[in-house]
Amino acid sequence: MLAARDEKEGFGMEHEKLSRRGFVALTGAASLGALLAACGGGEEAGAPATTEAPPETEAPPETEAPPATTEEAPPATTEEAPAGPKFDPESEPDGPVEVFEWVGYDNAEDTAAFMWKTYDEGPYGQKSPLKFTFLENDQQALAKVASGYSPEVIHPCIAYWRDFDAAGLLQPFDTSLLPDYEGIPEAIRAAGVHPETGLVYHVPFDIGFSALTYRADKIQISPEEESWSILLNPEYEGKIGIFSDDAAIIKIGALINAGEPINPNKLTTEQIQAAKETMIKAKPQIRTFWGSQTDTVNDFVNGNLWATYTWPDGYWSIKNHGKMKDVEVRYMSPKEGRLAWTCGLVLHAEAKHPGRATLAVAATNTPAASAALTDVYQYGGAQQNGVQELIQNKELITAFSLDDPAAFAPPKAWFEEYLPNRKEYVDAAAEVKAA
Amino acid sequence: MATTATPVIEAPRRRKWGRRAREQSSGYALSAPAVAVLLVFFLLPIYFIVRYSIGLDRFAKTEAAAELTGELAGFSTELWRNFLGEGAEIALLGKSSAALHLPMYVVGIVFVVLVLGAVFGKRLSARFGGWIVGGSFFLLLAPFMTIPAGNNLLRLAELESGGDFLRLFFRSVTMATTSSVWAVAMAFPIAYFLAFGIRKSKYTWLLVVIAPFLTSYLLRVFAWKLILGDQGLINSALFELGLRDPDNALSFLIYSQFTVILVLLYAWVPFLILPIFIALENMDRRLLEAGTDLGASRLQTFRKVTLPIAAPGIVAAFLFVFIPSMGEYITPSLVGGNTGYMFGQAIWVQFVGGTLNWQTGSVLSIFLLGVVLFLTFTTSKFLRQGGGATA
Repeated sequence: MLAARDEKEGFGMEHEKLSRRGFVALTGAASLGALLAACGGGEEAGAPATTEAPPETEAPPETEAPPATTEEAPPATTEEAPAGPKFDPESEPDGPVEVFEWVGYDNAEDTAAFMWKTYDEGPYGQKSPLKFTFLENDQQALAKVASGYSPEVIHPCIAYWRDFDAAGLLQPFDTSLLPDYEGIPEAIRAAGVHPETGLVYHVPFDIGFSALTYRADKIQISPEEESWSILLNPEYEGKIGIFSDDAAIIKIGALINAGEPINPNKLTTEQIQAAKETMIKAKPQIRTFWGSQTDTVNDFVNGNLWATYTWPDGYWSIKNHGKMKDVEVRYMSPKEGRLAWTCGLVLHAEAKHPGRATLAVAATNTPAASAALTDVYQYGGAQQNGVQELIQNKELITAFSLDDPAAFAPPKAWFEEYLPNRKEYVDAAAEVKAA
Repeated sequence: MATTATPVIEAPRRRKWGRRAREQSSGYALSAPAVAVLLVFFLLPIYFIVRYSIGLDRFAKTEAAAELTGELAGFSTELWRNFLGEGAEIALLGKSSAALHLPMYVVGIVFVVLVLGAVFGKRLSARFGGWIVGGSFFLLLAPFMTIPAGNNLLRLAELESGGDFLRLFFRSVTMATTSSVWAVAMAFPIAYFLAFGIRKSKYTWLLVVIAPFLTSYLLRVFAWKLILGDQGLINSALFELGLRDPDNALSFLIYSQFTVILVLLYAWVPFLILPIFIALENMDRRLLEAGTDLGASRLQTFRKVTLPIAAPGIVAAFLFVFIPSMGEYITPSLVGGNTGYMFGQAIWVQFVGGTLNWQTGSVLSIFLLGVVLFLTFTTSKFLRQGGGATA
């Protein structure tokens, strides 16, 4: 007994030296310490891995442009051109220029053949080759870049570049390195200019419509009767697909409610709530809120959908699909107006090669690149200077009204804009999805 | 005697302590990486998510960005209050005016009583313990079971609340419960057949059952889309047989809650066969012989011997499906459509979609984690109590 007690106590003494609880605490402390040390190292290296905002002094002077709501911003002067930054590509170190590009442009051969061709063949194509990573949507891109990922060139759409800027992630371009910039129509490029500093932050590259592609044999309406309101028609129950983008859902609801062209980017709280109610009523007709256009194209050609929200390339894929050869497929031009978008390229605040990255952006803005964009992807190019003559498939010009400027302007099309009240759109759309 | 005996006893004891200490140290050393991983990749993220959920951290780095995301700037329980909503009550037996409306606290009390009954039922009554456990389980699960009805599912109970996400959570619970119960119901006979029906090469048969799952999950889900589509295998067959008009396909087959449950079932059944098979395979067969010798019928032997022994495996299998199904994101995204939207998708949207509102996403994540931890805790308690083995 004594021996057994001694043994137990002896063991207990050992136990006290390193109890389980102590061991776990010790391991935890060591792991935490190691992790914090690693985080600290990351910060020193300039990677904003944590959610804390970096000290303002760490940002380069160009990135300290105040956020849109700041009243201390220097007043924009319309008379004199604002003095932008000056980059010297020659003095920049060699090394790859990383581009955060849309996943649709991931066919390297196609894009290299036209989009970045001038840069690849230029003086820096070998010294600073382009290296690509791919994004799936604007929100995901913003989340990644805000979390510390630092590509030099990013491809957000017009409604989102201000979010990148507000997070201190962008710097303006040196427009002297963008020789074709003036060829972009003023109406398109204006949205990429900072409203307070007048500096160019977003160089538009691709534009296009967002509208319903539908089967004329199932949805029997004349082109004059085309309207977003088919979403409320119970004859099409479970036969319509809509893009899962929150703002788009509410904009469509607002256009249905109006029954005529109204700017869906300028909705009041009441209009947003009414749009939400309308889209909840439309839910029986909506079979999918799709996240990938490829999926909705497959659903359409396989008969699961009679109408679906697509971009121009989606319509073109459906129209030319083998299963649709005996079916009349139309790209709707609703009486309330199509939705439309512009995407373009921005420069990261911490770009190591701002000059060379700008030259890469310039390559995407050539008329040849713009024409090839239409031929390969059926999108319109932001660059429109002499582009139509270069487009090889002339059928695309009429199919997407590329020769009709009115088709790209209200009341026929509503290009997306920066939404100061985007949260209201998103919250309302979340209710539609969860209803 | 005593002076000579002491060193004889102490010498080997010291050696024994030394060995134990070494064994203990090496045990700690071996488990240290796992503990470190647990702390760094489980507890630390939870700590940060909790901070986000109460407004102590936010995604937006600047005030301007925060205005867009609508995130809170300091400690607040507002997001939690929004999540829970107001006027939450459970409507039993449908949504009609005849439905029985119960306040949440009543439902909560009943729920806790049933959980306690399931966990401690056998202790309460030696004679009716098994019935208490079984009855509690049935009453816990029944309100969350669903029946396909068109593109939606009929439920015994519906949550009515001002909180959109809470309603969505309830809907996800019902879908996860239905798929889990059916998965267990389908897996049990197969496991039973493998354990008792096959004499030779049973492990080869087990491999055959699992073989389709050596291919990509996404590939298999897309295959279901081809089978269940409006012009898919099933509908085409119905058209060919003249049982259905081509313009009037069975639309609930694809992009519905039914589809999500079906695909989850398909995905999980093979994995459930394993734990149930192991529970049955490890059973002492002499107990079955003893039951027969004592005059019990096969059904009685199954109910009194086999089922209680397999109960821990069944419960573990249920949770094995239920927990991942609750946070399921991929399957409803691919085949759920508009009606099969689940809680996991809502969490994803908050983190990488919409306004990037990580604070709201964190509230949803913490709530889901809490429910899963509660279930895991009560289940482990249930299994420790004997898991119905003596019922």
